[in-house]
Amino acid sequence: MSRAFTVAVAGQPNCGKSTLFNTLTGARQFVANYPGVTVEKRIGLFAHKGDRITLVDLPGTYSLTSYSLEERVARDFLLDESPDLVLNIVDASNLERNLYLTFQLVEMEFPLIVALNMMDIANGRGIDIDPSRLSDELQVPVIPTIGNRGKGKRELREAIWAMCVDKENHGSWVRVDYGEALESVIAPLEVKLSRQAHLASHFPARWLAVKLLEDDPEVRKLVTGAVAERDYRLSHSEQGKDSIDAGE
Amino acid sequence: MTLDELRVGQEARIVDITLSGAIGQRLLDMGFVEGTCVKIVRNAPLIDPIDLLVRGYHVSIRHAEAKGVEVEPL
Ligand SMILES: Nc1nc2c(ncn2[C@@H]2O[C@H](COP(=O)(O)OP(=O)(O)OP(=O)(O)O)[C@@H](O)[C@H]2O)c(=O)[nH]1
Ligand SMILES: [Mg+2]
Repeated sequence: MSRAFTVAVAGQPNCGKSTLFNTLTGARQFVANYPGVTVEKRIGLFAHKGDRITLVDLPGTYSLTSYSLEERVARDFLLDESPDLVLNIVDASNLERNLYLTFQLVEMEFPLIVALNMMDIANGRGIDIDPSRLSDELQVPVIPTIGNRGKGKRELREAIWAMCVDKENHGSWVRVDYGEALESVIAPLEVKLSRQAHLASHFPARWLAVKLLEDDPEVRKLVTGAVAERDYRLSHSEQGKDSIDAGE
Repeated sequence: MTLDELRVGQEARIVDITLSGAIGQRLLDMGFVEGTCVKIVRNAPLIDPIDLLVRGYHVSIRHAEAKGVEVEPL
């Protein structure tokens, strides 16, 4: 039986996202809008081994904070639609900057695959990147590609499909260590947040904790909203208790 | 001193980002953090943008934004 999967394509501006998207999906594309905003939403399809894979091209963003419209659109799509997989296109000639977004995706605990694009430019600049070493470090598959020459297309399609059909498919276990000073604040916050059942079932507690420390306005709303709802439910339930922990 | 005061060819280390809000966040996201080295590629008085080399790539920013980046010349 044919299965259907959704894959979000994320990357920093100019990493070759659209080129790879076109390479993967060919002519089978259409354009829509994200709900409520005029940001273009490009959707494409490809079939692999009888399964149907839908790619959604997210706006190119340096990061996933909620400061710009593009970032909010990309982040909301990821959080609301929980795609089966996130394909992160990384510009190999600009690895350090590009990996910043990668680590944000890791932190959001999405099942992840990295396309290491612009390998020709990196090589031309004498930058030597070992994809399998990078894959070991990130604990996600890393596929080298040259988007405008279609190189890596077959391997990328196969890897995307393999990640989608894998039931054990999960995000990277890598955790960013923010150092003593921050970790001593993140850890207790993470514990408290993980006790908020309806928050913790949707969002990684550690990610919420980090975003609260950044004073991210959207996450603050999310968390205060969830806590207010819990208090409301507690005050309206006869026994005064339900399954939600009442800790701070 | 601040980034906008550097001359072409000068290199400096970022000491602090005093910009807040969306622009400050964007610079942080692009790797403008304390300790990072920047090199001025183009900077003409009153003409935006300033062209910089940071972490091996080019960035253009306005003088007004560069004023929000404290640096220490190298
Ligand atoms: N040399 C080289 N060029 C590439 C590669 N992949 C894409 N390009 C080129 O890089 C340019 C940018 O590619 P796009 O696909 O438009 O990048 P994007 O990430 O969609 O860019 P934005 O949507 O503007 O953020 C285009 O001229 C592509 O032809 C690659 O692997 N090597
Ligand atoms: Mg594009």
